[in-house]
Amino acid sequence: MFSISLRADRLSKTYEAGLLSTGKCIFREVSFEIRSGKTFGLMGSSGEGKSTLGRVVAGLEKATTGSVYYKGTPLTLMKKNEKIAFRRKVQIMFQDPTDAFNPRKKIGHAISEVLALLGVPEARHSSKTEEMLITTGLPKEVLSRYPSQISGGQLQRLALSRILLLDPEYIVLDEPTSALDVSVQAQILHMLKEVQTERNTGYLLISHDEIVIRFMSDSYGVLENGQLKIIE
Amino acid sequence: MSPEAAHIESSCITEACTEEYSEKKREISSLNFKFPGELLFKISGRRKGLKGQLNRGGIFLFVFFLFMALFPSFLAPYAPNERFTPYKEPSWDHFLGTNDIGNDIFSELVYGSRISMTVGFAAALVSTLIGAILGICAGYFRGALDELLMGFTDVVLIIPKIPLIIVLGAYLQPSIWILIPVLGLLSWESTARVTRSKTLQLREAGYVKSARCMGFSSWHIMSTDIFPNLYNVLLPKFMLATASAMISEASLSFLGLSDISMKSWGTMLSFAFFRGGFIRDMWWWYTPPGICITLCIISIALIGFGLETQGKEHVREGADAM
Repeated sequence: MFSISLRADRLSKTYEAGLLSTGKCIFREVSFEIRSGKTFGLMGSSGEGKSTLGRVVAGLEKATTGSVYYKGTPLTLMKKNEKIAFRRKVQIMFQDPTDAFNPRKKIGHAISEVLALLGVPEARHSSKTEEMLITTGLPKEVLSRYPSQISGGQLQRLALSRILLLDPEYIVLDEPTSALDVSVQAQILHMLKEVQTERNTGYLLISHDEIVIRFMSDSYGVLENGQLKIIE
Repeated sequence: MSPEAAHIESSCITEACTEEYSEKKREISSLNFKFPGELLFKISGRRKGLKGQLNRGGIFLFVFFLFMALFPSFLAPYAPNERFTPYKEPSWDHFLGTNDIGNDIFSELVYGSRISMTVGFAAALVSTLIGAILGICAGYFRGALDELLMGFTDVVLIIPKIPLIIVLGAYLQPSIWILIPVLGLLSWESTARVTRSKTLQLREAGYVKSARCMGFSSWHIMSTDIFPNLYNVLLPKFMLATASAMISEASLSFLGLSDISMKSWGTMLSFAFFRGGFIRDMWWWYTPPGICITLCIISIALIGFGLETQGKEHVREGADAM
């Protein structure tokens, strides 16, 4: 289904040349598609521009040329309400879980802010938060802690469940497990799989770990020397 | 996941979390993660040797001057306008003698701290607020706005401050309510520059990017995610701006560009100079305000430098990225 997919069409990213430096091309003419309920894996060595590509797909950075299409409309031509919908429906999860939450906000506060953003009445915040905690399997007391007082695995689960409050159609997973130890990695990957089965979410999984990519992805591509080689 | 299973798992995790929590707590204490309220006590506690002594001395002096400014009636034996015999030498009745119109100099000195510190803190507040707002906007939005704001900052940076303040002070009616905005409006540039660079760093933090991706407004991100994480930069800048504003106020008052009905330490010096204090060699008139200005500025600067050093250590320890 072309119209409901998230599509990268001939994306190129070049960092502009300065007075003392020449411009650097990060990737060139990269095209791929993420379908609902499927995972597209993106592999490549460090410094190949995987994370930059992820941020471009999530709309956090602009591509030098090419476009990202959401429901058939390029991001650059979206109207305000379409952009708001895109912002809710395409989310990104970062590598470092300790960096995912503001160190000066308690977890409960960070979650309430998202609920307020979604227009959930304040009276329903606690019930919604409890539902979220059941999904993540974390106790209620984490809500009263600061991010620095929680382990990396727990933070990553909380980061994912905070994203899920927005009910996204696509999530860009930027090396979601590389900062975690092996046992916690498996927990997070299984949680991601469960979420995908339950909600039909499409993933763009960025990783340099081939095992993780093979375990999670329906198709994947390798970013090398600025070019994407797709492997079905 | 069924509610029962979730409950069992959650209780198991609670136990695991409690253990983990105590371990984490130990880790955190070693990371020295601090909250603003504990700050002043922590600086004095952590610094060892000469640096620590200086910081403690700075805090002690500052608290003393603050007490003097907030509760002058506790220290001053007379009202500042009460008149006695003029030009009296120090005695038990008047610790620092009396001035040309018979006011008790010690009482004048105590009440003068109020004006000097009010001008210093209010001007610093104005300059820190302007610098913080412009710095956050430039660093967060980048692009053309950044260029425009930083270009404007450079223009303000090259304006010679004291001559301009003297001209403004001479044209406008001398009053601290003119002096505060003028000093504040002309001293925000370095705060804006530092705030911008820190904002550029915070803008790339995962939680800011996540907030942008979730669709939070720029105002929300700047006020709740960026501004609270700038206190390491803004607090020392505020203290140093206070010290600088107090020096400017004293200089302008000495030149006679201040409201004579609101006697600050600078005004006292000016009166001592122009009304016979120096000619009569009345050191008890002109020395105390000079010493007070110097000590108060040193105490504020010591706290400011202490906070600045602590901020740098904070960044080195990586606590900012937590």
